[in-house]
Amino acid sequence: MEASSDLPPREAGGFAGSPRKGRPAAARRSRASVWHRVRSNRWSYVYLAPFLALVVVFTIYPLFASLGYTLYQWNGVGDPTQYVGLQNFARIVRDSIFWQAFGHTLVYTVVLVPVQLALALTLALVLNDRRLRFSTFYRAVYFIPAVTSAAIVGVVFQLMLSNFGDSFSQVLVRLHLVQHRIDWLGDPHAVLWIVIAIGIWNTLGYNLVYFLAGLQTIPAELYEAARIDGAGAAGRFRHVTVPGLREVGLIILFLAVLGSLQVFDLVQVLTGGGPYYASEVVNTYIYHQAFGAGSFGGGGGAAAQPNVGFASAASFFYGLLLLVITGLQALAWGWMGRRRTRAVG
Amino acid sequence: MIATAHRGWDQARRVRSLPRARLRRLATHAVLVVVGFLWVYPFLWALASSLKSQAGFIDEGLSIIPRELQWLNYSDAWNGASFGTYFLNTVLITAFTVVLTLLFTSMAGYALARTSFPGKRVLLAVIVVTFFLPRGYTIVPVYDVVQHLGLLNTLWSVILVQVASGMVFNTFLFMGYFTTVAKEIEEAARADGASFNQTFWYVMLPLARPMLATLGLFTFINSWNDFFTPLVFTLGQPQLRTLSVGLYAFISQTSTNWTALCAGSIISLAPIILVFVFAQRHIVDAIAGAVKG
Repeated sequence: MEASSDLPPREAGGFAGSPRKGRPAAARRSRASVWHRVRSNRWSYVYLAPFLALVVVFTIYPLFASLGYTLYQWNGVGDPTQYVGLQNFARIVRDSIFWQAFGHTLVYTVVLVPVQLALALTLALVLNDRRLRFSTFYRAVYFIPAVTSAAIVGVVFQLMLSNFGDSFSQVLVRLHLVQHRIDWLGDPHAVLWIVIAIGIWNTLGYNLVYFLAGLQTIPAELYEAARIDGAGAAGRFRHVTVPGLREVGLIILFLAVLGSLQVFDLVQVLTGGGPYYASEVVNTYIYHQAFGAGSFGGGGGAAAQPNVGFASAASFFYGLLLLVITGLQALAWGWMGRRRTRAVG
Repeated sequence: MIATAHRGWDQARRVRSLPRARLRRLATHAVLVVVGFLWVYPFLWALASSLKSQAGFIDEGLSIIPRELQWLNYSDAWNGASFGTYFLNTVLITAFTVVLTLLFTSMAGYALARTSFPGKRVLLAVIVVTFFLPRGYTIVPVYDVVQHLGLLNTLWSVILVQVASGMVFNTFLFMGYFTTVAKEIEEAARADGASFNQTFWYVMLPLARPMLATLGLFTFINSWNDFFTPLVFTLGQPQLRTLSVGLYAFISQTSTNWTALCAGSIISLAPIILVFVFAQRHIVDAIAGAVKG
């Protein structure tokens, strides 16, 4: 990043102009040289202009603007006028549906991440075998759901479950795997688990590829050496694979946790947060608050009236919660790292 | 020498345990094939169902071999359910998003990597900070901005918001890439009298072809599959819907033309699968590189 700023100062102009020398006053010279550097680098500014304009207008300004909205009761039409101070935040902290949605998001994350990562790692270990033929083909097959849009996943699963879910659940009942017929996406007790299962299937491909990449960084000699030392498959996994994957694994875990905490598309297309808020996650909750029941497919979780101020406050509040969770994660890693070094040293 | 000895030992062992190892590998293949089949079953089922008749859709259940091919479903979806319009919208949005994203981020990345202009440090600091700020629910102010720009209910709103969302990340990647290009190449171009613009367009940008391909692929997939942005900006304009939003609207309207819905899904999925099949290695390597680096 800093490589280019180590260059000798290029007052002489990146591409045009000639050095001006021999100005007597140091102050005047420095001001003039800044102006000169600006002028001689004018193309840099031109090249950066679209980037800057888009970032300022669509990223930086909205961040601050949404902070301002949090203080208003506002339905999103016209300018916000009804100032309510911190009332929106007070309402969120007391809103049981928000906390319910937060709980669902946590359950989604805490169940999906370990299961998905364990499956992805197992599959990666199998596919990493260099003597296994067609492993590129298998990798492609297991990766396909990851490049499929949430809308398609939602449509196909809804069609399959609504048409054949019933016969499938009868089979499960007959096999005594479940006691009652399952209404899949319509049953408030089952819906979150179904969404989690589909979520595991949908994004497993990314973690598979991450793990495969991580496995390829482990030198084959280490496995050889462990084998010579008499380590079995389990021992090699524990003493070579696990330590070798530690760094990549932490990144994978971090990405998976963050992605799950911000799930929106999949839930919105599968259930819209329903039935009766049973699969409402924080991001669908905020969406329903911001756009109200008027937005089609609101599902069970749509608010009657859009309330943009409240939605902004909820999202800001959730952003803070995410920061805390991320911070705790970092602390836990630090603690684990210290413990490890103590155990080793 | 030691390595050779080991290899010999390994080979000897392999020869001795050949039948068992082969059996185990066969079992591995069997499991991978069966699970893999179940894994892509929803897609196979959607493809088959998109060709079934309305009655066949119910009767044939989960079968993935339609008894008779009903190609009419595709024209139902394309014309009747407006998937032709959605397809065109999606193509336009994706094409502009990919081209503008690559153009803007490569230019910005080049300027940041190769020139030291006043204000660069401040700019880099601001970019890093925005990168780590929580991406709160900024869609409402973004909606507001779009409205003030007079772009509401146009395809441009979706394009601009998508392009903007990829700015910081892709610029970072281009900056990193251009930093690694040898300075001599640029200096040689300058010595030959090339201007700043000529150096970028004719020397540096062609050198960045692998990066352009990778980021172009990802921008394509993200843009084509994006659901949230087009959902929000086409709420009041059904004729501007993309394939994702169109599918979602179709199923929300409690339509019973399921076979056409399946045809719509296949229409949305086909381009992604085609790109994926042709660029699989490239895509997977790029994803792997992101976590390895």
